[in-house]
Amino acid sequence: MIAVEKLVKSYNSTPVLRGIDHAQNRSEAVVLIGPSGCGKSTFLRCLNQLEIADSGRITIDGVTIEGGRIPRSSEERERQRQLRRRSGMVFQSFNLFPHFTVLQNITVAPRFVKGVPTPEADARARQLLAKVGLENKADAYPAQLSGGQQQRVAIARALAMEPQVMLFDEPTSALDPELREEVLRVMRQLAEEGLTMIVVTHEMQFARDIADRILFFDDGLVVESGPPDRIFSNPQHERTREFLSKVATR
Amino acid sequence: MKSASRLSRVAVRDFVFVLLLASRPLPVFASDTLELIRSRDVLRWGADAEGGAPYVYPDPQKPEQLIGFEVDLAEALAAKLGVKATMVQNQWDQLIPALERGNFEIILNGLEITPENRQRIAMSRPYFVYAQQIVTRKNTDGLTRIEDFGGKPIGVLSSSVAQRLVEKISGVDLRIYPGNVETFRDLKANRIEAVVLDLPIALYYAKPDPGLKFSGAPFAPGYYGIGARKSDASLLAALNQAVEELARDGALERIYRKYGVWDERQERLKDYQPEAVPEKKSISTLRDWPKYLPLLLRGAVTTVELSLLAMALAVVAGLVVVLVRLYAIAPLRWLARAYVEVIRGTPLLIQLFLIYYGLPEIGIRLNAFFAAILGLGLNYAASEAENYRAGIQSVPPGQPEAALALGMSQWQTLQHVVLPQALRVVIPPVTNDFIAMFKDSSIVSVITMVELTKVYGMLAMSTYDYIGLGLMTAGIYFALSYPASLFADRLERKLRYDRR
Repeated sequence: MIAVEKLVKSYNSTPVLRGIDHAQNRSEAVVLIGPSGCGKSTFLRCLNQLEIADSGRITIDGVTIEGGRIPRSSEERERQRQLRRRSGMVFQSFNLFPHFTVLQNITVAPRFVKGVPTPEADARARQLLAKVGLENKADAYPAQLSGGQQQRVAIARALAMEPQVMLFDEPTSALDPELREEVLRVMRQLAEEGLTMIVVTHEMQFARDIADRILFFDDGLVVESGPPDRIFSNPQHERTREFLSKVATR
Repeated sequence: MKSASRLSRVAVRDFVFVLLLASRPLPVFASDTLELIRSRDVLRWGADAEGGAPYVYPDPQKPEQLIGFEVDLAEALAAKLGVKATMVQNQWDQLIPALERGNFEIILNGLEITPENRQRIAMSRPYFVYAQQIVTRKNTDGLTRIEDFGGKPIGVLSSSVAQRLVEKISGVDLRIYPGNVETFRDLKANRIEAVVLDLPIALYYAKPDPGLKFSGAPFAPGYYGIGARKSDASLLAALNQAVEELARDGALERIYRKYGVWDERQERLKDYQPEAVPEKKSISTLRDWPKYLPLLLRGAVTTVELSLLAMALAVVAGLVVVLVRLYAIAPLRWLARAYVEVIRGTPLLIQLFLIYYGLPEIGIRLNAFFAAILGLGLNYAASEAENYRAGIQSVPPGQPEAALALGMSQWQTLQHVVLPQALRVVIPPVTNDFIAMFKDSSIVSVITMVELTKVYGMLAMSTYDYIGLGLMTAGIYFALSYPASLFADRLERKLRYDRR
């Protein structure tokens, strides 16, 4: 369902992605691990078009975008929006809209992008809030919530657009350790329900638990990939071993 | 040229001196001004050279040099006193207050000998006989007498004799100008039907213009005299003697012929008998507030109308400018940026002049009210655009990213996510600008709008009660601004979303 071919991206002539190939099936949960600055986040941001790749090709659920050009024509922009609508993004820093209530945060995109009538959007939002365990926070403002609660709202917000794939960009890195578990619990549940997802994380235990496949990124390339058991217990590459030993002792 | 420090030292000394004079009765000091002039070897005379032909004006051939019949007269007078003459530039309708402050010793600038002026200051025997002249466009019929003016827009100079005469005609749409060049421009632009002004000005500016004509004969003759402080009796006596000598020995006639303002009326100067001066009665506008406050409030209505409409324009135009500057294609972005920089980098006064007096030359003729709104509004639009830009850039980049990631278009992102968050940041500086607008709007009096400050100026000119009227006017401005502040506070609190 997801096909990425030869994705290349540089910032000011510093290469960040140096030719990524990736294919992923529906309902597959893929976890990206690797040292900071290896290109994991950039990969996610390219997938949902927050960054425009220099070259390569991204296909999600039949919608294909070629890298190398900023979309200008209305047709190109429409295609870009179609691609974005197929992926939901959860950010490290939550990025909830502070001027909206929790409910409005979740309904704004369905209402204005998909044209869902407000009562329906509200009802759907309340279901999603119940799913992430925050049904009583619908009328709160983001500033009134803890970091863990905010991130759960952000997950509900992304789910409200019914994406084909959810992209999680270090969703627990900005949280205190005692708040991480409530977010991870929601993500585990989503994985069990068979949601297609790509997760960038430093939570190795979590990765091991939910991943169907692990991708080890280093220096803009996928160095090694495979099922979690193999990657964690029997890594093939020196760099993978080195990285895992560092995280393990941390 | 004098050095600035010397100038300010002299100003301070004179200011202290005037303070001493003001604490009457101290006649012993009064005779000292003439001594002071002689010891300093300089007679400082106050006048306004802006649009001042043929009285005092920059020589068109050598603009760094002032010429005019009053320049020659000042030199002749100073020579009679045995000193040199130095002109002190001062806005015309503020000459009397400046004289009283001690900025100069005499006023020599077409100051009419009127009961009002003689109540306030001492006036010498006349040095010139003026009359009023009506000027119209070449093809205008009638309007040969001010009594024919009912219902017509008529231009006069601020606080001139003509203003006082035409004010009395009922139904006249009186337009008051800061300078005479502007009156003739508007006359030719069909904004007004006639200008009434002192004959010498008409002779210099209107006579050579083929598009204009003198309508009817000169009327309402009167005298120009030299103004001095009432306490300076010996100076006044010396001036009277000097003027009389200049009139009798033909020096005045020579000067006036040189500038083309001599006529047979000037013969009267030789034998002038002064009338008795009525004692100055002081007016307290505060005690008589029921008479003055409504006049000020009527000016305040114009100020409010102007400020509200101009601010509405600024708020909307500023938004357009900032959106173009941040999100449009490159050439439009540069244009928006250039707009902001040019508007911010040039004075509002010049912008107003260009809109009101400049645009008619390319066929766009706005009345004063619309020109004022356009000028103020477009000026403030640049400032609002910058306020918005600061607000938009204060929204963290994660916010538009989150919106775009949800599939919102660029415009939806702006509309639902970026602008609402920018709004809260933008309210305090925009309110500030709105309050500043109330006060800045007073500048539009230069394009003949009569708003609160102009009404204050006109009333203060005729009552000389600067303090009473000033307190009332300041009170009105404050009463306008403070509710705007309160409203902004409430709005800001209402838009707070970071409460816990």
